[in-house]
Amino acid sequence: MNAIIALSLSGIASLFLGFSTNRKNLLITTLLFVLVALGLNLADWNHEYFWFNNMLKTDNLSINFSSVILLSTALVVAISRSFGDDEEHTHPAEYYAIMLFAAAGALMMVTYENMIMLFVGLEILSVSMYILTGSDKRNLRSNEAALKYFLMGAFATGILLFGVALVYGATGSFNIHGIGEVVSRTKKGMELFEGGVILYAGIILIFIGLLFKVSAAPFHFWTPDVYEGAPTIFTTFMSTVVKTAGVAAMYRLLSISFPAVYGLWGNPLVWITCLTLIVGNITAVYQQSFKRMLAYSSISHAGYLLITILAKTPNTNGSILFYSLAYSIATISAFAVLMIVSENKPKDGKPDESFEALNGLSVNNPFLAFVLTVSMLSLAGIPLTAGFFGKFFIFTDAFSNVSPLFKNILVVAILMSAVGVYYYFKPIIAVYMKKGEIAEIQLPLIYKITLIITTALTIILGIAPDLVKNMF
Amino acid sequence: MNYQPSDYLPIIVQLGAALAFIVLTMVATHWLGPKRHSSKKDDVFECGIESIGDARTPISVKYFLVAILFVLFDVEIVFMYPWAVNFKELAWDGFVEMVVFMSFLLLGFIYVIKKGVLKWEK
Amino acid sequence: MSLITLIPLFPLLGFLINGIGFRKVPNSLVGIIGSAAALASFACALSLFLNFSGTPQLVHVFDWITVGKLNIAMSFQIDQLSLLMLLIITGVGSLIHIYSIGYMHHDEGFGKFFAFLNLFLFFMLLLVMGSNYVVMFIGWEGVGLCSYLLIGFWNKNVNYGAAARKAFIMNRIGDLGFLLGIFLIIAHFGSVEYADVFGKVAEGGYLSGDKTLVAITLLLFVGAMGKSAQIPLYTWLPDAMAGPTPVSALIHAATMVTAGIYMIIRSNIMYSLAPETLEVVAWVGLATAVFAASIGLFQNDIKKVLAYSTVSQLGYMFMGLGVMAYSSSFFHVMTHAFFKALLFLGAGSVIHAMSDEQDIRSMGGLRKKLPITFITFLIATIAISGIPPFAGFFSKDEILAHVYEHNKLMWAFGLLGSIMTSFYMFRLLFLTFFGEFRGTKEQEHHLHESPLTMTAPLMVLAVLSAIAGFFNLPHIFGGHAGLAEFMAPLFAHSHVETAEVSESTEIMLMVISVVAALASAIVAYVIYVSKKAVPAADGAESGLQKVIYNKYYIDELYDAVFVKPISALSTFFHDVIDFLGIDLIVESIGKLVKTLSAEARLLQNGTTGFYLFAMVLSIVALLAWGLQGFFF
Repeated sequence: MNAIIALSLSGIASLFLGFSTNRKNLLITTLLFVLVALGLNLADWNHEYFWFNNMLKTDNLSINFSSVILLSTALVVAISRSFGDDEEHTHPAEYYAIMLFAAAGALMMVTYENMIMLFVGLEILSVSMYILTGSDKRNLRSNEAALKYFLMGAFATGILLFGVALVYGATGSFNIHGIGEVVSRTKKGMELFEGGVILYAGIILIFIGLLFKVSAAPFHFWTPDVYEGAPTIFTTFMSTVVKTAGVAAMYRLLSISFPAVYGLWGNPLVWITCLTLIVGNITAVYQQSFKRMLAYSSISHAGYLLITILAKTPNTNGSILFYSLAYSIATISAFAVLMIVSENKPKDGKPDESFEALNGLSVNNPFLAFVLTVSMLSLAGIPLTAGFFGKFFIFTDAFSNVSPLFKNILVVAILMSAVGVYYYFKPIIAVYMKKGEIAEIQLPLIYKITLIITTALTIILGIAPDLVKNMF
Repeated sequence: MNYQPSDYLPIIVQLGAALAFIVLTMVATHWLGPKRHSSKKDDVFECGIESIGDARTPISVKYFLVAILFVLFDVEIVFMYPWAVNFKELAWDGFVEMVVFMSFLLLGFIYVIKKGVLKWEK
Repeated sequence: MSLITLIPLFPLLGFLINGIGFRKVPNSLVGIIGSAAALASFACALSLFLNFSGTPQLVHVFDWITVGKLNIAMSFQIDQLSLLMLLIITGVGSLIHIYSIGYMHHDEGFGKFFAFLNLFLFFMLLLVMGSNYVVMFIGWEGVGLCSYLLIGFWNKNVNYGAAARKAFIMNRIGDLGFLLGIFLIIAHFGSVEYADVFGKVAEGGYLSGDKTLVAITLLLFVGAMGKSAQIPLYTWLPDAMAGPTPVSALIHAATMVTAGIYMIIRSNIMYSLAPETLEVVAWVGLATAVFAASIGLFQNDIKKVLAYSTVSQLGYMFMGLGVMAYSSSFFHVMTHAFFKALLFLGAGSVIHAMSDEQDIRSMGGLRKKLPITFITFLIATIAISGIPPFAGFFSKDEILAHVYEHNKLMWAFGLLGSIMTSFYMFRLLFLTFFGEFRGTKEQEHHLHESPLTMTAPLMVLAVLSAIAGFFNLPHIFGGHAGLAEFMAPLFAHSHVETAEVSESTEIMLMVISVVAALASAIVAYVIYVSKKAVPAADGAESGLQKVIYNKYYIDELYDAVFVKPISALSTFFHDVIDFLGIDLIVESIGKLVKTLSAEARLLQNGTTGFYLFAMVLSIVALLAWGLQGFFF
């Protein structure tokens, strides 16, 4: 909880730090701010309490999610080595400040108790992301992406707000525990106002708002375009922090407010999950751009995360956190390698983000090649990496759910992870099997350390998952 | 707390009344007012000076920035009204909260000035 | 952090320092770091041993995997068995590390060598310290990996690489059995923790000969056969001599190859309830002991002789296990670790002096040039031949006494093996150290005693080989069988029924075996010293001798029976199944996915209007689909 305050204040502080000229110090101080927030966040461990007139509630689950978010933020900040060399048109202090604000918004999304807070957090996060997406002002694609994201995001927010209003109309409460009480008192929600019509519409509309944020099909259309257009560093932020926050917010709402009316939202969500898995994985196969492929990969991982939200077993907390963590660190590694390789090899004056840019990396920089390989294996869910156990836990959860619909999801999910192996191996093949010219790559120390951390974590979690899973 | 859809009827009635009023007045003025056209009368009115060139000239982005900042700081005043009304009830707590709020606002203002947003000529 | 977790940590640190800093850490430091890591572990193990209270200690390091009801923890168990193994591994290991400083310091891969040695120690310690079968399996695989890396250490030589591969593959066959055994344990007991499994066996009222237990123990024994080089999976061990000599001493004589024995002693409670398995173990052990000893009779490579001798001695240990003489077998593991490490290190010293010559036909008369090596080698030879009062006599005799009780025929074969052992060992000794020098002038010129870092470990091991027998002095010599007493709690639940051998029988057996050993030593003396016979050159042997010299053509047999048919089968699969299965079916599925993907990609046309339209459509569909239930 104090982490939110710390992040907001340090966001303002870093705005003012921008007036000093040294850009290098900015990175270190921002990193420090995030780590302080992480520390403050962990200090709340085992303290369950309400804040601001019951607007926010800290509990261990929200602290865990916050930790994953802050860890991802820290790693992203650590690899934000440069925002281009253009001194005049880049504003690192502002970017860092906005990232800090966005992280604060994300934390609000995982600690909210009142629906208003969910909305406010979501908006802080979204508006920050709109700006960051368009931060490459001279790049038309970045502008286009920002505008698209903004238009569609505004649309989704409106729908979410409408949903909140409808749920309020049905239950008379903004408070998620309050809603939960009202809903569970009435048998299956059927005795509610108008036999639950309004409740159902409300739940679905809230979902749509959140599903948009985690880019689940069919609300994913913005994802590839925006991910590709945004500067890679913010794409990384988007695909890790925003996704984790969105999933956490959704899980919080579903597990606290609406477990009693599983029947109402379970079925639509099952179909959405299957569709997400299929669209994400199948479309990824044909992509030529590594960055765009990662965008589709992030869609497909949203699908896996939805499975465990749906499965509703006692293990769900652990599975969902483990998966978010495994996914986040692997994605950060992948984007980091992409970023440094593509910047190193411009094509028509712009970073080359296709698979060809990776050709021959193993010869020129075996370290980066290894990092990329581990992250791809983890995303594909190959044993001895964190991703394997992430998927394993999720599939076990799905399997222990008795509903026959779930067996279908499981079949789709397993088939789709087989498809995933195909496109995740593309970069590995490019790196090791293909020949290409790559200029000498200079890795700054902090970059190297970050990559070592993410890779080591991926492997350690893949060998001894309980090291972390037991913490959740 | 057991609402029926019919309970929302007054809202619809009000919505309808509001809409109807607008439409009605617009239509009414259109019909009631006398209309006499002439070349001089249909000309674009610009303070009595003859208008020259295209109306859509690009305006400096600074203009928008200043305008947005004005709106931003202006709207914050809204918070001061309820505070002023409840000044005594809120006592010191309210005062401290307001000071915090104002200092954030001030920080933003300082940032804006240091960033050079308000420098018109640059 | 407790002392227990420190023990495997030191070698791991040593590995990380020497491994990551390979070519960066100066050579003078490499050896010190590596040896210090081993010595530090030894110190910890020693202090644990001295403060041991008699009750097993469990240290839970972290939960590893929790799946459903199965929880596999990374945890350590310290009891009598693991303590003794720890002492042997770290003790002998330290000595061999120190020896390697002298032996390997000219090698360009010096740092790599120490990194691998430390890694090996780490895995070996995991193997013996783990408190469940899975941790043991990690160690088991880990030592296999290190063994592979170290056999092929001089990887520029293609033959050495082939030897490494052979060792790895043969071990994999065994590992498969071990792994299946573990699966069966999980399926049957629902746990892999020793405490749980053995507790359930002890209380479960299992009858002797229970089918599940027989299956489990047999599968585990397959693993042991691979790792401890028993018939039919023994042929990798002689080839493994391609590795540097300290490796042969540490991995392929003193520690790793005894892992199978450790595992059976660890699981003794299950083995005791599976007499069928025990019978198999005993006969396989006996066959290996005699068979390998007979091959050893006519080998001319100094390390090959020792390798076959190791296989044969391991056979004795399994024979002991087969007759439920667990503590006697372990006693032999211990003494064998001392004298066989000593023999290998002595051989290393000889090879070092002979400028990498390993053929004993080119040696001779080395005792004057290498006095320390000679004396220590002599002690070890006497020890392994079973001549009192040196270590081997007591341990081997205990096993033979138990075997005699069990089955007289088995004992007779065992005795035959020990006669052969005595013969080939003394043959080796005489050919190497006695007579005239038979090598080239240049080699003779270079002959020198090894440096102190190499001779000091020899001397320490020589003392141990001489006196280790007194650790478990039998009652008839006024001892109180200290080792057996110490280990007794391990076998508390396994109903070991060993009929006491009467004193007169015991003395009679001892006299017979000592006389036999001495006699064959004398025969060797007559042939190789008095008559100055030198084994014939390659290809000049005839008859049975030729068959034995060529190791009974076992490698060729395996090649004809297993390798050739399998490669024919694989050609078939490649030509037919691969074409039909992979090329036609699998690839068309791949193409289908690609086609779908190409279609799906077109949905993403970049128009915001279309995206919003699709969203609105989906929202309407979702609402309509859900709400129809309310209205209709």
